[in-house]
Amino acid sequence: MLALLFILFGALAIGCALAVVAQRNPLYSAISLIGVFISLACLYVMLAAPFIAAVQVIVYAGAIMVLVVFVIMLLNVEQEERRRTRLRFLVPTAVVLAAILIAEVAFMLVSVQDFRVIPSEGAPDIGVTHSIGPALFTHYLLPFEITSILLLMAIVGAMTLARRARLLPPNARVVPGAQQLPLSIVDPNAAPDDLRVVEADTADEAARILGIKGLRNQSRQD
Amino acid sequence: MEPQLSWYLALSAVLFTIGVAGVIIKRNIIAMFMCIELMLNAVNLTFVAFASFLQDVTGQLFVFIVMTVAAAEAAVGLGIIIAIFRNRESLDVDDASILKL
Repeated sequence: MLALLFILFGALAIGCALAVVAQRNPLYSAISLIGVFISLACLYVMLAAPFIAAVQVIVYAGAIMVLVVFVIMLLNVEQEERRRTRLRFLVPTAVVLAAILIAEVAFMLVSVQDFRVIPSEGAPDIGVTHSIGPALFTHYLLPFEITSILLLMAIVGAMTLARRARLLPPNARVVPGAQQLPLSIVDPNAAPDDLRVVEADTADEAARILGIKGLRNQSRQD
Repeated sequence: MEPQLSWYLALSAVLFTIGVAGVIIKRNIIAMFMCIELMLNAVNLTFVAFASFLQDVTGQLFVFIVMTVAAAEAAVGLGIIIAIFRNRESLDVDDASILKL
């Protein structure tokens, strides 16, 4: 019975994983990936890890995939284009590497056949929240705290990356050299909240690219 | 017949291999990102399988930590993807082959 369930969910996981790679539309890949997560959660339940299974569904299938789908829709991703010719060698490379990895796994499985599992006694409630909590907050407190620092860094990093470029004050100066200039600085007639960016070596060149006559006095180079 | 430890290890290895192949094959940066998540999940399956067969809770604790790292990676990675898209108007990794934004 358990073997049948393992085959069912294992096949579902492998099929969905193949679909993740095979789909050209990222949204379909995301949906297939949710299928992988759900079937892995079922396998975790079979492995007597109900807490991990619940966290898998909530964090992975819930939070992370919602984030991914949000980004896919935010960026309005179109279908992946056909591969360019100079990248054609990548598919054979991937196939060869995958074959090597599978061969290693086959070797490992042959050598692990006589691996004897010695379960420690007196721990029948492995995997429930009651047994995870004490271990997490006593013996593994340091990894737990390091994880919290990691999350703080992730919050700061995500905020820094995702915020929009700040508008420069009107008395800002343009430094010499290659740069990207907000249109509102180069063109005095542009709206002050115009965030389009001009790439240019100098402010004068930016003006030339835009076809603008006059530059703001403050934005001239010293 | 009960599922053996080697079954779970084999399934995990297959999932990991698919993830590696996906990272190499895919050109869309979001699809590569999802293949990395797939690899992390394959490793998680190994952790949980060993934790269950050895009756030791440590493996499940580290699955928990791997999930946290994956969540942090998702937040920062998607932020980077948005920043790249703003600059390049493209999600193809070949268009982001130079570091200068």
